[in-house]
Amino acid sequence: MAPTRTVKNKHAASKTNGAGSKSSKDGGITKSKSRSGSKANVKAPAIQVKGRPNIPGLDKNKTKKQQRVYTEKELGIPELNMVTPVGVTKPRGKKKGKVFVDDRESMATILALVQAEKEGQIESKMIRARQMEEIREARRAEAEKKEAERKAKLEETKESLRKKRKRHGHGNKHDDDEDTSLKAVTATGTKAAKPKKKRVSFAAPE
Amino acid sequence: MRALTDQEMKTVLDKLANYMSDLKSLIAPLEDGDRYVFRLNHSRVYYVKLSIANLATSISRDALLSLGTCLGKMTKTGKFRLHITALPILAQGARHKIWVKDNGAQPFLYGSNVVKAHVGRWSEDCPEHSGCVVYSMADIPLGFGVTARSTAEARRLDPTGIVCFRQADCGEYLRDEDTLFAG
Repeated sequence: MAPTRTVKNKHAASKTNGAGSKSSKDGGITKSKSRSGSKANVKAPAIQVKGRPNIPGLDKNKTKKQQRVYTEKELGIPELNMVTPVGVTKPRGKKKGKVFVDDRESMATILALVQAEKEGQIESKMIRARQMEEIREARRAEAEKKEAERKAKLEETKESLRKKRKRHGHGNKHDDDEDTSLKAVTATGTKAAKPKKKRVSFAAPE
Repeated sequence: MRALTDQEMKTVLDKLANYMSDLKSLIAPLEDGDRYVFRLNHSRVYYVKLSIANLATSISRDALLSLGTCLGKMTKTGKFRLHITALPILAQGARHKIWVKDNGAQPFLYGSNVVKAHVGRWSEDCPEHSGCVVYSMADIPLGFGVTARSTAEARRLDPTGIVCFRQADCGEYLRDEDTLFAG
């Protein structure tokens, strides 16, 4: 008894069976006969457009006249945000992937570069700080000087006022008293005259 | 685990240079012919001996939790953030130093900035906004931060004025225990 075979496509199976016993004889291999020089090699007849001669040289001229397409870089147009942001686009033709730094030399190079940069930054920071400190110091000194000048001026005017008073009332006893009183005032400072105390009295009940 | 790219290396060294004056000692060859290298795994940067890093290649990325000394983390924006675990390395070649008194050590370890009243002494000629390592008076590194004032300005500061902004302190070993090494 022949083994049963399951055929998925019934129609296909029947077709092959129906096509003849030839295929079965060859062991199930069918050869497609290729007809050389049949349809594949036949050239399509050239279609001539009305009013235009079909000369091959003319087509070349047509491609030469093609308008040149300028890129945005050439035109100098400011870059706009697009689907791929401006900074993200990677240069073409560059190798993909990361470049690792693992050898000592390249590491040392980067290290020296970074250190030099940092040293420069710190140095400039220090210089700036020192300059600022100097400026602050100068300002403080100037302010102190001004304060001292102001005080001296005040003292001078005070002194002149005192002298004036002395000259006016020379030998006058009354003025002398006044002068002493002035001295006392300048020594202790003036005090505002005490206002009279307000008194409250209630009317006596009758 | 992989080596750092040149951009990443630059970022890491740039940050380290804020705190350290001598970077060359970091990659100097050791006596036994070995040297230290930087490795990146799960966006964390490790400072590890080359021999150990080579051994670690046999462990898959996911399974590798940590190796060598974790310096910090690369952020998603490409910046680098130093962790407290980098303190021993920073303390070796610190550029500027601040020593805090005993009464200031605890507030610092609890995460607050260093105030002038707590400063025992500080290195001279220190500009503002530069990295400094914070030590206790017994010369034990406690953390690191960024100076708030220059040394000259800090002298005129009132006692409650901040001298150094904290960046990391040893208290983080307890406070950030869960996230410090993984996650």
